Amino acid sequence: MATMKKKGPLPGLFIGGFLFYMLLPIVATYAFSIATRWDRTILPEGLTLDWYKVAFMDRWFLIVFKNSLVLSFSTVIASILIIVPTAYWVHLRVPRARPILDLISTLPFAIPGVVLSLGLIRLYAQPPLMLARTPAMLVAAYVIFTMPFMYRPVVNSLKAVNIKVLTEAAQSLGSSWLRTLRQVILPNIMPGIISGGLLVFATIFGEFTIATFLVGARYKTFPMQLVYYTRRDGRIASAYSVISFTIAWVSSLIILWVAAWGAKRTSGSGHSIKDKDLQINIAGDQK
Amino acid sequence: MSYLVLKNLNKAYEGTIAVNDFNLQVEKGEFISLLGPSGCGKTTTLRMIAGFETPDNGHIQLDGEDITSASPNQRGMGMVFQSYALFPNMTAWNNVAFGLRVSKQPSTVVNKRVNELLDLVGLADDGHKYAAEMSGGQQQRVALARALAIEPRVLLLDEPLSALDAVVRVSLRHEIRRIQTALGITTIYVTHDQEEALSISDRVVVMRQAVIEQIGTPEEIYVQPQTHFVATFVGTINQFPGILKDSKLGLVACHSGDLNLFVPPITDGKVQDGGALTIMVRPEEIRVNKIGTDHDLSNSLDANLKTITLLGPVTRLTLEYHGQSIFADIRTVDRHRFDLNKPVQLSFSREACSIMPKVELSNGDN
Repeated sequence: MATMKKKGPLPGLFIGGFLFYMLLPIVATYAFSIATRWDRTILPEGLTLDWYKVAFMDRWFLIVFKNSLVLSFSTVIASILIIVPTAYWVHLRVPRARPILDLISTLPFAIPGVVLSLGLIRLYAQPPLMLARTPAMLVAAYVIFTMPFMYRPVVNSLKAVNIKVLTEAAQSLGSSWLRTLRQVILPNIMPGIISGGLLVFATIFGEFTIATFLVGARYKTFPMQLVYYTRRDGRIASAYSVISFTIAWVSSLIILWVAAWGAKRTSGSGHSIKDKDLQINIAGDQK
Repeated sequence: MSYLVLKNLNKAYEGTIAVNDFNLQVEKGEFISLLGPSGCGKTTTLRMIAGFETPDNGHIQLDGEDITSASPNQRGMGMVFQSYALFPNMTAWNNVAFGLRVSKQPSTVVNKRVNELLDLVGLADDGHKYAAEMSGGQQQRVALARALAIEPRVLLLDEPLSALDAVVRVSLRHEIRRIQTALGITTIYVTHDQEEALSISDRVVVMRQAVIEQIGTPEEIYVQPQTHFVATFVGTINQFPGILKDSKLGLVACHSGDLNLFVPPITDGKVQDGGALTIMVRPEEIRVNKIGTDHDLSNSLDANLKTITLLGPVTRLTLEYHGQSIFADIRTVDRHRFDLNKPVQLSFSREACSIMPKVELSNGDN
């Protein structure tokens, strides 16, 4: 901090500019969602919560909210079930395959959503799958699409604790694979799983492209409703955006909190009573 | 038949031989150390006993039963790791209880046993602590209690004290021995620290480059090393290469005949008259006196005192004899009797000499 001050106003200017650039659209969206009218004046003409009322009262609101929740949760659970055991096994038993898995896990970043969707439709529409245009297929696509978000934090957690030795210690005490995974490995990589889960959750909750291509209006999601309103009334769309932001932010806060808890736990000292309680709950193994 | 039998164990990794034809019989209640430099195969051997590695060939028998291919969680062997390996998500108490819960012991048994064991390792009041809240020494005590909780058929320890500081290391190694003796538990202990191995074991297995060099009691290993490597790896030893002149007299000519030394008569034909051999003498067997004052012992030579190194209760003198360095240990209280760069008389008995056939004067093995 002291060195920054010595360098004069330039760093402050950059940081200020960056914050302004990042925050302006969000602040504007908030303001727009509570403005009575804001197209003839510089500042909003008046304030109201009516647009939130319209958003919440819409007969579609609960449906799309529920649909998006179902999709997000299903994706989180499916990706935990697929990615966590795979990452653990590869880490423990086939370390040579690690670079391959690392590469595969970054592929979704390289493939645009549209390309992925079209490819998946062609594949899943054929027998024996016949899953095209179903929410199940959408979840399958989402697991691929969000793989990096789940894989990375889980692998980092696996690296942070000495998985191999812990597994061997549990085995020497007579523990089976399943028990070792459940009682020793999972509790210790839980920060990674929670971070990954929340990243996946937040991403899927706001995802529009793949959902539109794969299932479209058959299974309307929250972002689809948001896009529908942008074509009708920007203020209601803004209210939808704010609700969506809020969900993403709450997720981020939980991620930060979990990450801090994980860091504290591996660093050694400085446990508070709360930490301990949490650890015991997650371990499910109290005396 | 012995309790634990390791028969012709072999293990190679991608062409590199890690363990080569390892044979060992361990009696019930025995404390065995596997001693050797890093990469000698001692840990691989231990991991094969634990079941974490499968031998390429050979057999492991425990109490008459072949366990070569049994999975680690079926073997009933408690293991203590160098890195402690406590489960970070559990308290010390729950760590110790883990194995008992796995074997579905009733909670009254678990409670009683865990408390007993924490008491045994001196941590009765620390059961609520997590690994991160304990010192290395405490963590390793918990790990020991955890391994003992399952009443293991064999206790395996993989360099358990290497990560600890010197004082804790010494006190904990005595404690391990005390507990092992009290419980009469068969124990295999891996270490690269020769002092540790000598001080706590019933028998020591010295390994080098995947092969067993010598198996023996600590005394046998130290006093009667069977190979050049054992002699030099365990403790410090002085070497005098020479030619055997007379096996009945035990006369050896060293330094091209400038120095005649006497060793015990060689009757086993290990070396023939005229054959090359190396005489080995421990520094503590060498007596140091003023020139021409000591006539009691068979072997005597004059050397220049080069350095004086205080080691604690003993002080090590480094002396030079015709270009060869010789180490001699004296009592630290006697250290002022000698002056640097002055000649002194070294003498040692013939019984203090052990001989190795045909070994060059070098420490190249280390």
